[in-house]
Amino acid sequence: MSLTQKIIFTLNGKPVQADAQVTASALELLRGAFELGGTKLACGEGECGACTIIVDGRSRNSCLLPAVDLDGREVLTVEGLWSEDGIDPVQQAFIDEGAIQCGFCTPGMIMQTKYLLSKNPRMTPEEIERGLEGNVCRCTGYKKIISAVAAASAVAAE
Amino acid sequence: MLPQNKRPPDIGEYVAASSVDAAIDALADGQGTALAGGTDLWAQKDSGNGRLRQRLVNISRVSELCGIAEVAGKIRIGALTTISEILESPLLNEKVPLLPQMANRFAAPQIRNAATIGGNIANASPAADAVLPLIGLGTSVELRSKRETRFLPLSGFFKGPGNTQMTADELITAIEFETPPGNFHGVFCKSGPRPALEISMVAMCLTGLLEGGKLSNPRLVFGAVGPTPICCEKTEAMIDGKTISDDLIASALDLMATEIAPIDDFRASKWYRTQMARTFLEAELIACR
Amino acid sequence: MDKIIEKQSLIGKRVTKLDAPDKAVARTRYINDMVLPRMLFGKILRTDRVHAHIVSIDASAAEALPGVAAVITAKDTPGGKIGVLRDNPPLKTDTVRCIRDEIAAVAADSEEICDEAIRLIKVEYDDLPTVFDCTEALAAGAPIIHEDCPDNIAMEQNFEHGDMAAGEAASDYIVEGEYNVHYVAHCNMGVSCTLADYDTDGRVTIYTQTQYPFNVKMDIAPSLGVHPGDVRIIQPPVGGAFGSKLDVYPYEPICVFLAKKTRRPVKLIYSREEEFIASPTRQPVEFKIRAGMKKDGTLTFRDCDSLLNNGGYTSWGATTPYVTMRTMTSHYTVPNVKYRARAVYTNNPFAGSFRGYGNVQATWALETHMDKMAETIGMDPVAFRLKNANPPNEITPQGSNLGCIDLTGCIKQAAERSDFLNKWHENNKGWDSSERFRRGIGIATSLHNAGGAKIHKSDGCGTMLKMDDYARVTIITGGSEIGQGLDTVLAQLVSEELGVPMRDVTIINNDSALRPWDVGVHASRTTYIAGNSAIRVARKAREQILKAAASHTNMTHEMLDLRQGYVVQAESGLALMPLDKILRQMHFAGEDAELVMATDYYEPPSEPEDKDHMGDMSAAYSHAAHVAEIVVDTKLGAITVEKIWSAQDVGRVINPVGLEGQIEGGIAMGLGYALSEELKIVEGKVLNPSFRDYHVMTAPEMPEFDLTFIETGDAEGPAGAKGIAELPTIVIAPAIGNALYNATGVRIDHPPLTPEKVARAIAEKNGRL
Ligand SMILES: Cc1cc2nc3c(=O)[nH]c(=O)nc-3n(C[C@H](O)[C@H](O)[C@H](O)COP(=O)(O)OP(=O)(O)OC[C@H]3O[C@@H](n4cnc5c(N)ncnc54)[C@H](O)[C@@H]3O)c2cc1C
Ligand code: FES
Ligand code: FES
Repeated sequence: MSLTQKIIFTLNGKPVQADAQVTASALELLRGAFELGGTKLACGEGECGACTIIVDGRSRNSCLLPAVDLDGREVLTVEGLWSEDGIDPVQQAFIDEGAIQCGFCTPGMIMQTKYLLSKNPRMTPEEIERGLEGNVCRCTGYKKIISAVAAASAVAAE
Repeated sequence: MLPQNKRPPDIGEYVAASSVDAAIDALADGQGTALAGGTDLWAQKDSGNGRLRQRLVNISRVSELCGIAEVAGKIRIGALTTISEILESPLLNEKVPLLPQMANRFAAPQIRNAATIGGNIANASPAADAVLPLIGLGTSVELRSKRETRFLPLSGFFKGPGNTQMTADELITAIEFETPPGNFHGVFCKSGPRPALEISMVAMCLTGLLEGGKLSNPRLVFGAVGPTPICCEKTEAMIDGKTISDDLIASALDLMATEIAPIDDFRASKWYRTQMARTFLEAELIACR
Repeated sequence: MDKIIEKQSLIGKRVTKLDAPDKAVARTRYINDMVLPRMLFGKILRTDRVHAHIVSIDASAAEALPGVAAVITAKDTPGGKIGVLRDNPPLKTDTVRCIRDEIAAVAADSEEICDEAIRLIKVEYDDLPTVFDCTEALAAGAPIIHEDCPDNIAMEQNFEHGDMAAGEAASDYIVEGEYNVHYVAHCNMGVSCTLADYDTDGRVTIYTQTQYPFNVKMDIAPSLGVHPGDVRIIQPPVGGAFGSKLDVYPYEPICVFLAKKTRRPVKLIYSREEEFIASPTRQPVEFKIRAGMKKDGTLTFRDCDSLLNNGGYTSWGATTPYVTMRTMTSHYTVPNVKYRARAVYTNNPFAGSFRGYGNVQATWALETHMDKMAETIGMDPVAFRLKNANPPNEITPQGSNLGCIDLTGCIKQAAERSDFLNKWHENNKGWDSSERFRRGIGIATSLHNAGGAKIHKSDGCGTMLKMDDYARVTIITGGSEIGQGLDTVLAQLVSEELGVPMRDVTIINNDSALRPWDVGVHASRTTYIAGNSAIRVARKAREQILKAAASHTNMTHEMLDLRQGYVVQAESGLALMPLDKILRQMHFAGEDAELVMATDYYEPPSEPEDKDHMGDMSAAYSHAAHVAEIVVDTKLGAITVEKIWSAQDVGRVINPVGLEGQIEGGIAMGLGYALSEELKIVEGKVLNPSFRDYHVMTAPEMPEFDLTFIETGDAEGPAGAKGIAELPTIVIAPAIGNALYNATGVRIDHPPLTPEKVARAIAEKNGRL
């Protein structure tokens, strides 16, 4: 058994703690100990964005983020977007625009969109495309995803 | 990775450093590995190439290593500064747009949010993008260890892939370069066709002082065409302060091609890497006119 | 007050996908996310040789590792084989034939322990002579890959129609060309994954990504040594499939062996690198085409000979000629045709099926060739294609009745909307210009089956329907959902027939123990066939309800209709009674009580291909034309696709959202095929098994789209629709190749058109290499 480290952090608004393996990625920790299966593993090397989460306000590839580095940080995963108050406008936009086919890339796309909107609620189409350049989708051809981000962007800009 | 090829690291100790002093303490015996954004380290974690020593020293929370500032005519960038922070920095966008220009071609937003300038330098990949404009800007690297603090010029810092002048007990704390003057000209080019999310097959940075269509004190640095970034000193000398005529461009391209050392691999042939290098240089020399 | 309910149709409306909300909030549990109680992990040791005898395997250290539950090799298995020709033992016995070959497998408490155990297994090999090239593998004295196949020809297809000699004699021009199409990978975002669970009675439940559940039962059973009836297939949601999961692949039986040996559930999941190395690829093909025409452009004959690199084993890749042949013999009207394909064993990885199924390859070759032919006689590419376009109801050389097609309309629409001819003529003039960036425009078209493909005795699909006391409908369909949107289409069609809201229709589609038979999701067949079956079953239910309702009125059931949860008088729209009320009345009617339950098995009116490759194998056919406008950087060779015009015969639009999504996604995949994707395989080894070095399209690379749907209204199709999902991937690549030629005068016959290849070709043309 490899070395573990106790960490305490905020996960989707709630304080949590875990014994993180020092060699584990945040992705493994979230999917494993926290059963947050929404964060997807699709490459494990930073090339696809399926594992995108937001850490201290910045989007990150959780597959390349050491789990121990979450200590003291604020972490948002896709599961944190849906609450009693309803579903997040970004999620709604992805549904309404037909941006979801197999859906495997969707949580990563949605988290990256949340991040992009937090930086800039009024994105141009080019900014949207560039903002999603680290997120691979094999099904949709991106057009409907880009429209979804534009629609969510219109909502956010209001 | 296939299980049979994995060589998972054997980490015996974890240190979350809260200050530079704590970090260099933990690195002092040469048995520690600094962890910054992790985009290189974690991606190579299981490949067994020896990057991860037995003590993992997480420096990502050391606030002394953060920040971009201009002090006494010099721009100082903390080693933990991320590529995103470079892209977004008002100071750099105003005074050194070359660096945000590079950052805009670097990986993808999520990686840029993690990848640090210190990591890009320390990792010493021949394809590292950030080091090219930094060499062009005449950057020196601040290294600290329990023994000393020293400054090394970034050109000459690299010895080979993954290999630098830095010793195992040292930490990169910051980089510094003089604020470029108003007539400073700097451009960064990188292989595509994607706007970013490409590991460079060839990258180039050309800098100098541009006046009346002439580039003086030029620096011409290439990435991914040799084991380290390559400074084309002969080509620099050839174009220094000269009127950029068609003939000069033709000669400069030929001379440059003798200075770079691209290889043939499955990503690109030597011919194509040379073709890219020539195309970048030709276009940028023409743009100087 | 009397309530009047107008007929409102959902067909053609923008409907969002039923599964989208759960996917958006990450409630959907994909197979990759599944955990079963007491589950173990499984991993496979793969060979690093391409052709060798296995001398010995020593697994003793692995077996002794704490946490390891089982280590298995071929000797622990019943010895049955899988694959289209049953030539692939899931664990290799004495010979490895390609890089991915499975040697041993481990089940353990964690993935890390599996990894470590795998590293502890020692294998000794005796290397054998290797062969990687088809022509070399066919030569006398070539290494033999399978002892029972001394000529290395795994499969051969031949077809001839008309009089080839007469065709040649009638030709004014003959054009020849060679086209080698490459290896590409599916790159499903969800990597390969399977779980197996054994019960006390020797039955096995397999959770898998298969697109072919009922065939899997049949195909996997012999390798497991169990009866097909004892195999239950469950298909949890998957992260894409695109044809990759049509066959059984070794990891599936291996996972079952591990579950059987440990008597615990086992989950086996690939890493991305393994996905690239050990998954079936798209079939690479070497085509030789000779084709003739008269001076006026009329095609006289076409002869296509092709070699398929079959790799070490035979999966569906070797059968792609069944589709390739249809294109080569039947796309455009050609009186005399000949086709030959040989799949040749080598020590390369092997290919499976992949969206477009042999037609991506065929269309690249044929549509590049068509442009060359047009140029030979100085005709423009549009006029040449229109001249030879198949008319509706043409009977093709292989005996297909093309029915209500509109190839001419597709070509005209795409050409007119893109202002093709003006741009094309203009660009042609610029070949010798010194401009670094040049513009090009190209067109291509193709033909594909759009009403299934009868590759088995049946191409049918069963559906069961039940309604409850609250007028909620459950549809249990044979059709499979792999993210393409079947559930939504079925719910839409059923809700249309029964006048209930879509949300009141639940679709069950993932368990072979519940569902009626179907041949799986492939061949653009699912909407067509499962859709028809769903309509038919809903109509049966509708009739049952209306008859019961009619008995309470003085009308016949034909005079009634179901709208918005009511039984209404069809003509006036007058609401007579709520639907749930009549359902309850039917249910609680004492002796006459009835529940609404209906079943249907739909067999499309197509014929299986006979041994001479004759037969009308699809219930419908359709075409698409794509025009691509590109900008070429003549120095760096990079191609930027600016805009794509697509005109596709879709039969009828059922749901524009789903349709656009399929076309856009299909084109993105085709763009990757054309421009950047290539699995680089040298001496049998995969050099670029990562997204870092294998480039699929990303958002900023996507061009602008102009999509035109041509509605020919298929008489047999559900609400007139045709299958649409493959054509977009098929047609785009040659349109780009043709645009490159239009821009630069440089023709690249072997895709992908990578920057380096393009830059080299241009430098060569200019004598600067
Ligand atoms: C998908 C992907 C795309 C990428 N694209 C690009 C690209 O376009 N261009 C490019 O140049 N690179 C790219 N990279 C590589 C990588 O992101 C950069 O090299 C990055 O700058 C490394 O920084 P880091 O903070 O993540 O380093 P880490 O991974 O944390 O560390 C890298 C190395 O540097 C050492 N180190 C880190 N900080 C210090 C310090 N302060 N002092 C001493 N040693 C230190 C570490 O010990 C380690 O050996 C890419 C990587 C990925 C995964
Ligand atoms: S899984 Fe993290 S980027 Fe692909
Ligand atoms: S929807 Fe399937 S990968 Fe994006």
